[in-house]
Amino acid sequence: MSRIYIPLLLLFLFVIEGIGYDFIPNAMLQQGWLLVAHWAFIFIILMGLFYDLEKTYYSILAAIIIGLMRDVIYTDIIGVYMFAYGLVIYFIHGVRKVLHANFFVTLLLVIVGVILVDSGVSFAYYSIGINKMLFTDYLFSRLLPTLGFNILVFCLLYPIFKNRLLTWSENRFSNK
Amino acid sequence: MSDREKLSAPEQFAKDATGWLQQIIHTPVEYVSSIFTAIDDMKNVYDENQRLKEELNQYQQTLYEVQELRKENKKLESIIDKTDSDNIDAYRPIQASVTSRSPEQWFKQVTINKGTQDGIKKNMAVITGEGMIGKIQSTSQFSSTVLLLNGFDRSNRISVKVNLPDKEEDASGFILGYDEERESLLLEFTDYDHEIKEDSYVFSSGLGGVFPKGLEIGKITEVTMDQYGLSKVAYVETSADLSDIYHVIVIDRQMDGAIEETEGEDKE
Repeated sequence: MSRIYIPLLLLFLFVIEGIGYDFIPNAMLQQGWLLVAHWAFIFIILMGLFYDLEKTYYSILAAIIIGLMRDVIYTDIIGVYMFAYGLVIYFIHGVRKVLHANFFVTLLLVIVGVILVDSGVSFAYYSIGINKMLFTDYLFSRLLPTLGFNILVFCLLYPIFKNRLLTWSENRFSNK
Repeated sequence: MSDREKLSAPEQFAKDATGWLQQIIHTPVEYVSSIFTAIDDMKNVYDENQRLKEELNQYQQTLYEVQELRKENKKLESIIDKTDSDNIDAYRPIQASVTSRSPEQWFKQVTINKGTQDGIKKNMAVITGEGMIGKIQSTSQFSSTVLLLNGFDRSNRISVKVNLPDKEEDASGFILGYDEERESLLLEFTDYDHEIKEDSYVFSSGLGGVFPKGLEIGKITEVTMDQYGLSKVAYVETSADLSDIYHVIVIDRQMDGAIEETEGEDKE
């Protein structure tokens, strides 16, 4: 079943990222905060930790596909998100051997992941002149709000999907 | 950003497919949020009603005047054999809804649910009831991407005029781009002679070739000199709220014999 559920869930999260802007209260936007939704990415982190085994790389495939879709549909420049998502998920997939995945470790990895992706993407855009923000401005008006916003979503996704992902993983990989 | 004339077929397909999904999810969301807005609005319905009634009385009179002027204008036009398609303010409106907004907020773009199949082409102007909000950046078959005014830069100039009520001529100039810090558009004047007051209205001039005449863009908030002191510039606050857009109108210009598209086009 995971063969169908996971792509559908990813697609759903990806699609509502584009609508998420409507849910953000206006008061926050007037503060000049830039809130960037990385919801599908958070789900891929969960996938990397709970679904993938050490020798399977489905989360990296998902990261590259979702990253590419994000590039094509929501931005103009192809490759930036694809590379950032793929690389960070590869890193997280690598660390899972070392760390025992409970809630706080996962939270930590989400924080690190979102910071790496967002600052990496911002740096790429800075170097080609789309983002003209200075680093301190970026830190306070985009990175921190974005981080908080995505941690909130992570706290919603984690209880719903942790055990499901483990079951799906077992169903799919155990009989091999 | 993208200088490409057309998107490739896989890109168009991906955009259409997600646009379609987004619309499915967006419709109930918008329905619910519109109920809340409706409840909010009900609070000041009475006051508004009183005010609107008064305004309506004034409008009756203006309407009469407008009708008379229109008739007279028609007559005069028929004398000189001028047809509708010669007017630089003629256009065909295409109604569309916003389905999503880029989560990457350095790209000031939104997606709408109409595309090439509905007659939308690159560089058409996009407005709401309040004023202009941007232009079409790229099109797919059933959806297209709109670049908002706050994403404009020097390569997306708009030829504009500033309404001067007490003079016969309007002041003319170009919108050069968006100033992030002041959150307003930067207007450069092509002439120095006019005394320009704050709160004057800025609208498109129709001379650039792509946008028709008379689309409201915004209001002047400050007039100064540019950083070298060589030309007069002004800051323009957009009339439309760019963070809160649901329904838009795409302007299909009706001029016969497409002119060289200089405005809105990438030219560096």
